[in-house]
Amino acid sequence: MEYIIVLLPLIASIISGFFGKKIGDKYCLLLSSTLVGISAILSLIIFYKVLTEDYSSNRLFFNWISSGDFIVNWSIYVDTLTSVMLVVVTLISTIIHFYSIGYMSHDPNKPRFISYLSLFTFAMLTLVTADNFLQLFFGWEGVGLCSYLLIGFWYKKPSANAAAIKAFLVNRVGDFGFAIGIFLIFYFYGTLNYQEVFQQTPSIIQKEIIFLGIEFNLITLVCLLLFIGAMGKSAQIFLHTWLPDAMEGPTPVSALIHAATMVTAGVFLVIRCSPIFEYSQVALNVVATVGMITAFFAATVALVQNDIKKIVAYSTCSQLGYMFLAAGIGAYNVAIFHLFTHAFFKALLFLGSGCVIHSFNEEQDIRSMGGVWKKIPYTYALMIIGTLALTGFPLLSGYYSKDAIIEFAYLKGNTIGYYAAFIGIFTALLTSIYSWRLIFKTFHGRYKNKEKSLSSIQESPLVMLIPSCLLAIGAIFAGFAFKEIFIGYNSSEFWNSSILFLNIANHSHPPLWLVSITPAIVILAIPISYYLFIKNEKILGNLIEQNQFIYNFLLKKWYFDELYNFIFVEPLKKIGLFFWKKGDINTIDRYGPDGLSKIVKIISDKAVNFQSGHLYHYAFVMLVGLSVLLTYFILY
Amino acid sequence: MLAHSIFFYFFSSVAVFSAIMVTISKNTVYSVFFLILVFITISTLFIMIGAEFLGMIMLIVYVGAVAVLFLFVVMMLNVTQQTIKSYKKKGVVNNISVGLIVGIIIFLELIIAAAGWKYKDTFVPLSSIDPYLNISNTHALGNVLYTDYIHLFQISGMILLVAMIGAITLTFTRRENIKRQNYFQQIGREKDNSISLVDVESEKGIKIDD
Amino acid sequence: MIEIGLGHYLTLSAIIFCIGIVGIFLNRRNVIIILMSIELILLSVNVNLVSFSIFLQDLTGQIFTMFILTVAAAEAAVGLAIIVIYYKNKGTINIEHISSLKG
Repeated sequence: MEYIIVLLPLIASIISGFFGKKIGDKYCLLLSSTLVGISAILSLIIFYKVLTEDYSSNRLFFNWISSGDFIVNWSIYVDTLTSVMLVVVTLISTIIHFYSIGYMSHDPNKPRFISYLSLFTFAMLTLVTADNFLQLFFGWEGVGLCSYLLIGFWYKKPSANAAAIKAFLVNRVGDFGFAIGIFLIFYFYGTLNYQEVFQQTPSIIQKEIIFLGIEFNLITLVCLLLFIGAMGKSAQIFLHTWLPDAMEGPTPVSALIHAATMVTAGVFLVIRCSPIFEYSQVALNVVATVGMITAFFAATVALVQNDIKKIVAYSTCSQLGYMFLAAGIGAYNVAIFHLFTHAFFKALLFLGSGCVIHSFNEEQDIRSMGGVWKKIPYTYALMIIGTLALTGFPLLSGYYSKDAIIEFAYLKGNTIGYYAAFIGIFTALLTSIYSWRLIFKTFHGRYKNKEKSLSSIQESPLVMLIPSCLLAIGAIFAGFAFKEIFIGYNSSEFWNSSILFLNIANHSHPPLWLVSITPAIVILAIPISYYLFIKNEKILGNLIEQNQFIYNFLLKKWYFDELYNFIFVEPLKKIGLFFWKKGDINTIDRYGPDGLSKIVKIISDKAVNFQSGHLYHYAFVMLVGLSVLLTYFILY
Repeated sequence: MLAHSIFFYFFSSVAVFSAIMVTISKNTVYSVFFLILVFITISTLFIMIGAEFLGMIMLIVYVGAVAVLFLFVVMMLNVTQQTIKSYKKKGVVNNISVGLIVGIIIFLELIIAAAGWKYKDTFVPLSSIDPYLNISNTHALGNVLYTDYIHLFQISGMILLVAMIGAITLTFTRRENIKRQNYFQQIGREKDNSISLVDVESEKGIKIDD
Repeated sequence: MIEIGLGHYLTLSAIIFCIGIVGIFLNRRNVIIILMSIELILLSVNVNLVSFSIFLQDLTGQIFTMFILTVAAAEAAVGLAIIVIYYKNKGTINIEHISSLKG
């Protein structure tokens, strides 16, 4: 059964990719969506099995590498963690497939799109069901490739191409660290299979190695390098610059890849390697710190963005920071739980934004929207549900997962934990402010669009709304339904061997003020933001005018792009240009092909003079040859 | 011996001088004349050295036939007197210098080759000149030519024949607009293509020879 | 120097030989000069052969010279015939204009 789950999306992708033109757009879309749907149903069955019977399996697909002691197999490994990820990936992927039937209805290249989506699903499934680092890396690169293909789907737009390349390059930086981590693992462990690596880890925790002249603890170094890969893929700070630009792709792409699945691959990696991470406190602290900073940073930037998709993108970035925060303080199950719920409500938010954009005829700036909540009520309702879940409104799914993170951080007891809890609460405040800003500016207030008239705003088609409704159901109930299973008292039995807890998390109850502060802030933020953004916009206007510098700082995303441009991009471009112009053209080409052809031409021009047609020239040449011959014979 | 050497130096210098004048003289007829002078001086050298038959033959054949042939052709072909433009080419490396250098090189090499030559001790002359036999050079040559080298003699005769035929074939042109006799056509005339009977109607006339 | 030996004659032969060779490609006038230079070359060979023949007391050299004489005459005749024909076809025997072999 596991084979079918992983292979069906691949088959769907191949059929759509190669035979799309033959079977027609509609059948293509339906076929792919159905096949991925079958995968989703099967993964739900597997999840149920894992839940009830503690099911786990490792099915060999084929022997990939068998070179001496280095054995790497292509296999489908299912345990608790995998099954959770399988459900997330296939379910969201199916929903997105169906959604894009409606969203991409005026696009002429539907088969290509669906093929890429299915290919992405296949790569993600390979990543998740790997039982060794090499297959994981294959899936890693596969999703990176599909992300590139999908972001640059509308390849005629130069900004889309640039964004796709940026995504791939920044990812590549992360992959570089990841690859070095894998090399180190192989070098010191001798194997790349998870089970063997995890078994050997306790025995070499004291090993020190010298890397680039600095002495590191081996486990710390490996964890740090793996985390660099995760940073790249999950858009943590310093390697986050690609995520907002990735919104150049169609909205279903943003929903699938940059909300629910690909960006969570980094979190999955850290959690999958929890047996290694647990032995290095330094690495865990680094993970938690990076997660904190990212959460805070992304939330501040999202406050001032004006593009609806970018706000949601930064929100994703921030929530990923939360997940890493949770992983860094040792609460891996909470991180997975947050991943699980986040997938639902973030995909819902993206799909809702997609509906909004569709209704407004491809308008994405929230300054040109407003006052349409009566016109597109279903979209409005869906967005409200998504926002409530995102901000952590009590009883919805986000509340359980986000508050669990904050509580576990506080209960950890050390400095990092207290910092984490504080930043978590503050970021939750920021999250609710910018989320409600989005809602109010889009749906309430005056209608500000100059191109479309208010009466022509229409609801999106059913084929786009129904998938979003399914996600809304998940966003509402997933938290409550799975809380006990994922992070409850007996959760360690649920997870058993897929996550390692060295120090059993503190199960005591956190203080009451901690439990109540976050929901209170969140609920209060609703009327506050309503007041600020709709009723009395002048307060904000004055605030912005007085603090122009801070506003610009936030609007320009903390000047990260400009910084990277200055430090890396421009010098590299100049170096590349230099090598091309001077090195390649002037040196290699000039002395190589071009030079040779010029020399040949010059020589042949001179050689033409030999055949002048005049007899005396020929006689002279004969004479010279004769004298040379004579000289030779005389001298030797 | 002194006279011998004086004569040798005189004639050889004249020969060398004339040879040079053959190549660089502006007027082609002068070149031919200088060529004749070369032949004559070399011929006297031969006579002086004792090969008088060859000297006379050279005089007759070379001067009397070949050089006269050259003169005929030169006269016939309207060889204009031209200035030798390219001799005046400026620059260190022009035709004359290169040619002279190559010529000098070849000359030196010839000298080296000749100076390094040693003839074998066991050299047996093929047809020796017996100095004590009192026959003339012509007589001696005749003794050898028609006996040992008869085949070469005949072949050289054929060479001359071939050359003659070749020269005639090349330059033979048959003029188109001259009436000639074609004997075979005359003898092979038939009655049919020479006489024809025609009925002439009175007062009508007949046309012939159109 | 006073005593004329084989070497002197050989030197003379070499000089005339070189003059003949140089004359082939130093002329810029017409083709007949080339033929005359060839005659000079053959002449120098004759001198060489005859001098060897006399000094080595062997008649073979003179026989050979006779044949060279014959061949030289034949070759001069045919060469001149060719020049006449060429002149009839091209109208000139100026060296500068004879370049149909150009390429």
